[in-house]
Amino acid sequence: MTDALVLKDVRKSYGNTEAVHGISLTVKEGEIFGLIGHNGAGKTTTLRMISTLLRITSGSISVYGHDVETDSKGVREIISYLPEDAGAYKDLTGRAYLDFIARFFADGDERKRMVEKGIALADLGERIDSKVDTYSKGMMRRLLIARAVMPSPKLAIMDEVTSGLDVVNAYEIREIIRGIARDGVTVIMSSHNMFEVDMLCDRVGIINHGDLIGLGTPDELKREYGVDTLEEVFVKAVKG
Amino acid sequence: MNHLANIIQKELKELLTPGAIMSVVVMVVLFSILGGLIGGEVDKAQTLPSIGVVGSGHGDLTIEDGGVDWNLYETLESIYGSSIPSDAEVGDYLIKLDDFDGDFDRLKDMMSQNDLACALIVPDDFALCISEGRPATLTQFYIYEPEGMFGSISSTVVTSIASMLNTSLSKELLMGPTEGNPLFYSNPIAFGGDNDCTMINGEVHNGILPSDIAGEISSQTMIIPIVIMILITMIGSLVISSIGSEKENKTLETLLTLPIKRTTIVTGKIIAAAVVGIIYGVAYMIGMGMYMGSLTGTMGSGVNLEDLGLSLDAFDYLLVMVSLFLSISCALGLCMILGGFAKNYKSAQTMTMPLSILAMIPMFIIMFSGWYGAGPFIQGIVFAIPFSHPMMAMEALMYGDVGLVLSGIAYMMVFAVATIAITVKLYNSDILITGLNQNRTYQKLTGKK
Ligand SMILES: Nc1ncnc2c1ncn2[C@@H]1O[C@H](COP(=O)(O)OP(=O)(O)OP(=O)(O)O)[C@@H](O)[C@H]1O
Ligand SMILES: [Mg+2]
Repeated sequence: MTDALVLKDVRKSYGNTEAVHGISLTVKEGEIFGLIGHNGAGKTTTLRMISTLLRITSGSISVYGHDVETDSKGVREIISYLPEDAGAYKDLTGRAYLDFIARFFADGDERKRMVEKGIALADLGERIDSKVDTYSKGMMRRLLIARAVMPSPKLAIMDEVTSGLDVVNAYEIREIIRGIARDGVTVIMSSHNMFEVDMLCDRVGIINHGDLIGLGTPDELKREYGVDTLEEVFVKAVKG
Repeated sequence: MNHLANIIQKELKELLTPGAIMSVVVMVVLFSILGGLIGGEVDKAQTLPSIGVVGSGHGDLTIEDGGVDWNLYETLESIYGSSIPSDAEVGDYLIKLDDFDGDFDRLKDMMSQNDLACALIVPDDFALCISEGRPATLTQFYIYEPEGMFGSISSTVVTSIASMLNTSLSKELLMGPTEGNPLFYSNPIAFGGDNDCTMINGEVHNGILPSDIAGEISSQTMIIPIVIMILITMIGSLVISSIGSEKENKTLETLLTLPIKRTTIVTGKIIAAAVVGIIYGVAYMIGMGMYMGSLTGTMGSGVNLEDLGLSLDAFDYLLVMVSLFLSISCALGLCMILGGFAKNYKSAQTMTMPLSILAMIPMFIIMFSGWYGAGPFIQGIVFAIPFSHPMMAMEALMYGDVGLVLSGIAYMMVFAVATIAITVKLYNSDILITGLNQNRTYQKLTGKK
């Protein structure tokens, strides 16, 4: 398996405060990688650096061989970033929003097919033709995940995709993620739901105050800390 | 009550940001500066103009048998003597010029040497006319200088001086024996009307005073600065709010990770806003045209600028459009930068403040003193603000000042390119996502941690 994502000693400072202190990790192609950590640990910061939104202060990140600093255009062509609490353009309908995004990736029939795929993924029934500002949180999230998955990225970056969703919505979104990973898409996601990470992620990184303090498959981590659940791993790792 | 106070306190904290307070302070300073400026203009307009008195005898009039002994120049001296500031001398205001031989160009040269804009021409047969009981004609001659709203007042002052001379001579004549036409004794001096003339761009026009021209030009162009100010502010807030709401809804983060160039995003937003701006602009122009049309129908001074060579031709209009377009581009470039610092929709609203202030400064200056009436320092400020140029382009072109408009266009081109370059740089940096507070230079500047 090739390396889809390589972080080497990545640091990020906001002004004079360093939020990420040298994280190194590698994610393989088709893998679902979970980032866990307390609020303010540096998950969003890390995901934004991978997405080319933030410049890295030092270190390097490469996505399928494209360096985020020197070839950000190349990176943007193969990634899809779903920000935490993201929204869509309020004046558009769900369908129009998907079409707006699809226009950046394809033309003609291919674009039509892409939008159809998005509509199927969002699974909003006839509400796909309602204005986005009438959507509930769950509907909005489904639309956005459809938008992120629809262009078939090679790496999907998802920040707390299921937070605040009901059981069914969260389940279905996890199914979508599992589905794309089966098709070879690499996924890096953050979550506060240990149950979700345990079930979904092939490998997990634990971030504590900007440091990567644990890395491995859920089972490896549980064995390492001698506990039964990922939740206990997390608490032990952070406290000890 | 406590709850109400609580809410009021929170609202005030949000509304009275340092930025908002700053802009209030700037407004106050701005108005006081403008007050001084306009006050100066009004003072200037109210003081008596310097005039050249042209003619061989300068209006010397002695009629032996009638006992009339009157001198136009001396009467002028006494009129000025009672009105000029105590530390000034009459000789500074009244300058005797040589005879007028009908050559206006020579007269113009004489006037220019003495820095005069107005001359009273006393005809050679002045004394003869009066002694024969015919009204003598006194001609006002002006070299037209455009000077904003108040610049034209001097010509009305000169007319009233002529009227005073008439009254004075009438009194003098009435003390002697009166015979013949009684009308002559009440109006021995004919002034005003078609005799008076003004030299505009080297050509002499009869029956037209500078106040007529200035009145006509300002009635045609007065509203332009206001329209442009509104236009700039409106398009500006459009762009800034669009970025602000993209940030608020986190759509900007998505947009910035799509496979599109930052320049495409920036240009796209600018072009869209420019289109809307031009639609607004055209709508305003049409509305304004209709407004001015109905106004000039009733209030116009009757001066036809076209006949005076002061109206605009197709090339002038093209220059005005180019100037307007560039000015809008500069505004949009600035707004993209300001919008980059807006955290959300609400803070975007405050961000439009600097822009409207920038648009208001030239608007007030141009409306009240005009470009030509302002001193070099004020002119420097007005020129540096890119929104000034379309505000004054039309007036400048009516006066034939193409140089001002062209240099404004060149300046705005440089300005627009610079702002767009800065915008693209900004969109490639973190600031768009993190905001200004986390920027290291900003922290250094403000000493915050
Ligand atoms: N724009 C910013 N300016 C300054 N500091 C920031 C900024 N964004 C994040 N930080 C700081 O960086 C650290 C990491 O933040 P980050 O948002 O990456 O955390 P997170 O792990 O995503 O947290 P959460 O689970 O709450 O989303 C925090 O201390 C935060 O205060
Ligand atoms: Mg986060």
